Amino acid sequence: MPTLRLEGLTKHYVRASQVVRALDAVTLEIQQGEFAAVVGRSGSGKTTMLDCAGLLMRPTAGRVLLDAVDTGRLGERERAALRSRRIGFIFQEFNLLPTLSAIENVLLPLRYSGADRRAGRRRAEMLLEEMGLAERMGHRPAELSGGQQQRVAIARSLIGEPTLVFGDEPMGEVDTETAEMLLSLMRRINRESRVTFLIVTHDLDLAARADRIIHLHDGRLAADEAVGRAVGPCAALAVGAR
Amino acid sequence: MEILRNLWRRKVRTSLTVIGIVMGIFALTTMGAMAEHFDALLAGGIAYYGNTVQVADANSSSGFGGGYMDLSTLSQIQRVAGVAAVSPGVFDTAKPGQASVVSMGVPDFIGNLDPNWNRYSRLKLSLAGGRWVGDGSRLEVDLGSSFAAEFHMKVGDTIALPVRPSDAQPGFVNHRFTVVGILNPTLTAPDSGAYVSLHDAQMIDGDSLPTALLGHVDPYQLITGAVVYAEPGINLDALAARINAQVPTVKATKPSTLVSAFRSGGAVFTFMTTAAALLALIIGGLSVVNTMLMSVSERVREIGLKKAIGARTRHILTEFLAEAALIGLIGGVVGYLLGLVLTTLLNGSNPSGGLFLVTPGLTALAIGFAVALGAIAGLLPAIRAARMDPVRALRAQ
Repeated sequence: MPTLRLEGLTKHYVRASQVVRALDAVTLEIQQGEFAAVVGRSGSGKTTMLDCAGLLMRPTAGRVLLDAVDTGRLGERERAALRSRRIGFIFQEFNLLPTLSAIENVLLPLRYSGADRRAGRRRAEMLLEEMGLAERMGHRPAELSGGQQQRVAIARSLIGEPTLVFGDEPMGEVDTETAEMLLSLMRRINRESRVTFLIVTHDLDLAARADRIIHLHDGRLAADEAVGRAVGPCAALAVGAR
Repeated sequence: MEILRNLWRRKVRTSLTVIGIVMGIFALTTMGAMAEHFDALLAGGIAYYGNTVQVADANSSSGFGGGYMDLSTLSQIQRVAGVAAVSPGVFDTAKPGQASVVSMGVPDFIGNLDPNWNRYSRLKLSLAGGRWVGDGSRLEVDLGSSFAAEFHMKVGDTIALPVRPSDAQPGFVNHRFTVVGILNPTLTAPDSGAYVSLHDAQMIDGDSLPTALLGHVDPYQLITGAVVYAEPGINLDALAARINAQVPTVKATKPSTLVSAFRSGGAVFTFMTTAAALLALIIGGLSVVNTMLMSVSERVREIGLKKAIGARTRHILTEFLAEAALIGLIGGVVGYLLGLVLTTLLNGSNPSGGLFLVTPGLTALAIGFAVALGAIAGLLPAIRAARMDPVRALRAQ
């Protein structure tokens, strides 16, 4: 059973009385423990797909199944609960709260999931140590470099022990060297704890280090390939699903 | 902690908003303290005058005396059906000749201690120290709490009554009284009184009789009024009417007339407090709304992030409401403390005890009002924050 299944995922917007097809009947499955990259040009629907899969947005049509549960049937409360317990998010601009220290930022999701604070704190310390930030736990985001801030954000995405982590251009705001380091870090977590990663990137070199690359073009699934061995053009799959 | 840090991020803006609330709550506290003072004064008046019938000479202009009655009239009043007791009243100002200054309280007075008072009146008098002046006592006085405080008197001290005015006439007479008791505060008229025996009250009154009358009347047969206490179950207005009908030389005032006069006085002060509260509401409330709206629009991404990581509408709503309520709390406490300091200082500088009364109820009202104001004013911005769409909020620039 896949951990995430998107079935005919479609999202239309109306902009200036024109219908924009941001996402058009995308069907794909992500297995537990996979590290997948989503690539495509600007406007290809990468972020929209992530927003729908991450339960931040409801699709116009199609379904998002998380461990075979149809999330479209859930109310906002249940979707928020799923986000806090099952899903982690990493954003391009880190999105750390400026008034909170590194460790407080990491602990933020637990405030809403009702998890045990003390156990959470130990886990947050452990995560920050793993990120090489043991000495920076009490620092505010403004006192950290971009790479350090993104490592805090990665630790925050992992605090609730999610099975799925979504990254929207997580290496977009840092230099190449830092991007390499962040990617290695995420891959290591993926290998060691079998957390599934779905990362949106426009950097094909970074994408090449994933297990699998999902190509989107004009809101459609253009190709879906395992790195090292081609799965084949998946346009047929996408068309077949319609 | 996070709430405090969020507020502290915008020090100037938060401070200005807090000052708005401080001003409002300061006004509420001082006006409220004044209203509480008068409410206590009027409540005492309602309690006392509401269950007595005040009797004066038929030719006097008000229910509070002004003319003289003959002591013998008391026995005629006593015979009216429904009268339980009649007490003579002899009242004079304690500071004769003093230019009448604007005083928002009861001026100091000298009067005879009514032996029937505590038996019949709903407003009770009690001693903080010493003993009561007896019927037969001479040159002894029980002082009301404000009176004693004004002249720094304690039991055993002596005081010349009436108090000699600075521009006293050559014929001015007063007498040295020994303070034998100090009354507990009642927050109303008796606090400003000096209570002596009937004999001594008549003696003091006799000293101030017009020269033309001296030698022609016996001051010990004169009283300035009488207080009638009714038997249980008697309608006091009806009793006043009966007294007027049966004793034509006197005028009994219906208690309901006096009570409604007090009540309408109380309404003015209630209006003042309400107006101060409204002022606080408008100044403080609008600045909280503005501050919180700005805060929400500055923190759109933060709201989006919190929603993305699992915060529900209720969480966001609570966080912003708590922030607004905290602004209210800080402003409320500071405004209240400023009001408390000012009213305490003003009361201290007023020899007769002052115009302000800060009660626990007022404290709770001032601070509770500020917190509620903050929270209510924060409601609209908080709802706006809580309803935000996470995706739009996250991608906001």
